[in-house]
Amino acid sequence: MLGFIIQRFLQAVGVMAVMSVIVFCGVYAIGNPIDIVIPPEATQEIREEVIRRLGLDLPLYKQYFIFMGNLLQGDLGRSFIYNVPVLELIGGRMPATLELVLISVISATVLGVSLGIYAGYRPDSWISKTIMAVSVLGFSVPSFWVGLILILFFAVKLGWLPAGGRGDTLEIWGVAWSFPTLNGLSHIVLPALNLALFKLAMMIRLARAGTREIMLTDTIKFARAAGLSEGTILRRHLLKLISIPIITVFGLELGSTLAFAVVTETIFSWPGVGKLIIDSIAVLDRPVMVAYLILVAFLFVTINFVIDLVFALIDPRVRAGAVQ
Amino acid sequence: MRYQKFLAPLVFGLGVVTAGVATAQTLTIGVRGGPESMDPHFSALGSHAEAAKHIFDTLVWSGDDLQIEPGLAVSWTSVDEDTWEFKLREGVKFHDGSDFDAEDVKFSIERIPVVTGPTTTAIYVRRVESVDIIDPYTLHINTDGQAATLPNDFIRLFIVSSDAAADYSTLETSAEGFNSGVATIGTGPYKYTSWEPKGDLVLDRNSDYWRGEGAWETVIRREIPNDSSRLAALKAGQVDLINYVSSVDYLALERDANIDAVKGDSVYIMNLQLDQREDTPLVRAIDGSDLAENPFRDLRVRQAVDHAIDRQTMVDIVLEGLGRPANQMMPAGFFGSSENIPMPEYSPTKARELLADAGYPDGFEVDLYCTADRLPGDGAICQGLGQMLTQVGIKTNVNAISKTVYFPAQARLEYSMFLNGWGTLTGEASYTLGGLAHSNDPEVNLGAYNRIEYENDDVDMLLQTGATMMDEAERRATYEEAMEKVMADKAYISVVQLQTVWGAKAGMFEFNPRLDEDTLAFFIRPAP
Repeated sequence: MLGFIIQRFLQAVGVMAVMSVIVFCGVYAIGNPIDIVIPPEATQEIREEVIRRLGLDLPLYKQYFIFMGNLLQGDLGRSFIYNVPVLELIGGRMPATLELVLISVISATVLGVSLGIYAGYRPDSWISKTIMAVSVLGFSVPSFWVGLILILFFAVKLGWLPAGGRGDTLEIWGVAWSFPTLNGLSHIVLPALNLALFKLAMMIRLARAGTREIMLTDTIKFARAAGLSEGTILRRHLLKLISIPIITVFGLELGSTLAFAVVTETIFSWPGVGKLIIDSIAVLDRPVMVAYLILVAFLFVTINFVIDLVFALIDPRVRAGAVQ
Repeated sequence: MRYQKFLAPLVFGLGVVTAGVATAQTLTIGVRGGPESMDPHFSALGSHAEAAKHIFDTLVWSGDDLQIEPGLAVSWTSVDEDTWEFKLREGVKFHDGSDFDAEDVKFSIERIPVVTGPTTTAIYVRRVESVDIIDPYTLHINTDGQAATLPNDFIRLFIVSSDAAADYSTLETSAEGFNSGVATIGTGPYKYTSWEPKGDLVLDRNSDYWRGEGAWETVIRREIPNDSSRLAALKAGQVDLINYVSSVDYLALERDANIDAVKGDSVYIMNLQLDQREDTPLVRAIDGSDLAENPFRDLRVRQAVDHAIDRQTMVDIVLEGLGRPANQMMPAGFFGSSENIPMPEYSPTKARELLADAGYPDGFEVDLYCTADRLPGDGAICQGLGQMLTQVGIKTNVNAISKTVYFPAQARLEYSMFLNGWGTLTGEASYTLGGLAHSNDPEVNLGAYNRIEYENDDVDMLLQTGATMMDEAERRATYEEAMEKVMADKAYISVVQLQTVWGAKAGMFEFNPRLDEDTLAFFIRPAP
């Protein structure tokens, strides 16, 4: 087990190093922020002063080494646009994204797996057919459109729920959260629903496919022969056997939703990191883009690392394979 | 002798501001863009200055039509060729009760080059050499050479308190001091309460404001960048008023009894720019072969392009009525706008004849570039132009792209024909013609935005002499003449002047749209 962990850890470090180079070069290749941010009246001297101040006059490799040097000291640089440390900027907006994403991904998974197992367990009932039909919709309707329709219907027409923003927040350990207040919770409902739809559909289909496969195996036959109740079979045996692909997808979905909840955050004016990154790309705020992408890479590497460990815990074959 | 009166420091309640519900005393504005920092000197972006105008005052005020009026300065006169004397308003108090005087102005001017971000505010004080305090309410500003337009430069020169901001005037400390509210002490109509970057800016009324008391006790400026979401927030009653309603939504609002749509002229004009270099990259013969020379260097071809554009259709159909046909690079009535320039005639026949005369009976092919995400309708105007030009034989491939890609490429002179929005934010011609129409000459600091290598010696002369004329009538005549010459050359072809729309809850508010598109809470009054 320890060998397995060390091996995975070294891989993760390698991936991060390569990612930092790719991200840095990529972001620095896509245009010059100076042309976008400098106002028309700026004289040549003023321009040069700005370029020098942002360190854009140095060759690329020098800029990279300065960046990496700072990064290893835990300093991701200062935003061009806001003149505050990037970590502070991203950190200040992380809680908003975190609560939205966790609520939507977890509820989508719990609901999706339950519905999927039912649809797999009774594939011919009309309820299952309805579930599957709805899941196709969840897959195929673009989320920006659903978001706008949700706003139109629940906020503008019915006036039940707010159209956007975060609402009241409560400070817990110095961080503002929306979910503990009723008003904040009402603000979360629509964006979380919008974000959850696609994942819900995916979880339903995954769970259903897994269930249908497992229900036909000898494991289930023997369990029934042993006189276990159907409930116990589903909970203890089936759930464990279909969980591997579900955990993989859950981890990846959690990561990608955290990183790219952009569309939903924009439509619902949810002040999270997704909106921040889109705005930063629009004005080529390089430090924010680089820092964000590095953090996202780190997030994915970490999630994959954790998933691998969870597999090893669930499935003894993985552990054994790693040791050999 | 300075006399200071210390008032008890103000204590702000730390209650949570309830979102959404508008009381008669709270005004919630949904804005497309907000400030980038609470330091007014950090950024020259319009949305940044707009937010700063709530908390801070400027020396010179620019009115609804960008005419310059007294602000914190009551008068300004030019003492000699490189000195301006500013007389300051007396009895103005900062939010912390301290007195405003010349010390604060000098401090603010000297602070700018140090704390500005990349969207640099150094432009507002670029002509200032040094500042002399004559007495607490008189300043002498020494400029590098003659600076006839110095008062126009000062319309965004925000005055901060030299005491409160003393320790927060380096690049490292300014954001911290101003974003936390410690240094955010101005003389403006509203006091700073709280701000979340990209979120809400919450402001409280300043009862001692020198212009009189504002109508709203509390003002919340909520940043909602997405046009549809901003409109939805207004319709759902979460905000009272929004700026930048898109032209598509404007048509729907016209029929909505619960929402007033207020239309106002914008300072932005869309200009088609034709590259004047001998060798231009994106022009080809119809069969794809190279042309012997750049057709846009021929005046007849440029006139043909001008005649091919149906401006009225552009306004009525493409912009849904939200615009005006434009015949020059500035709105009518600006300092240097000429009344002698005719509205170009739409005539495809003439356009074809001119093309044939110039030796292009079959036309030619060109790539047209423009932004699709900068100004309302920019991409659509581009598409319209492409069709109109193609009809007269100039086969036009339209590329409406992101400003992030467009501006750097435009700066590298990679385009042969491009549509560019330009706002004369200072309200006078030296800004516009000096930036676009003078040949690019870093020596005299003119023509930095001349990206088509347009060169007319007469225009260059006029602009250089105009910049040093202190007599206003003479200067105006000089700039009008320059504008006439530039527009006659047709290298810059003005197409439309844009208009902007505000949406507000029906019958609740009175306000005048401003040409610079600023939405200022102090000037928004409850309807009687």
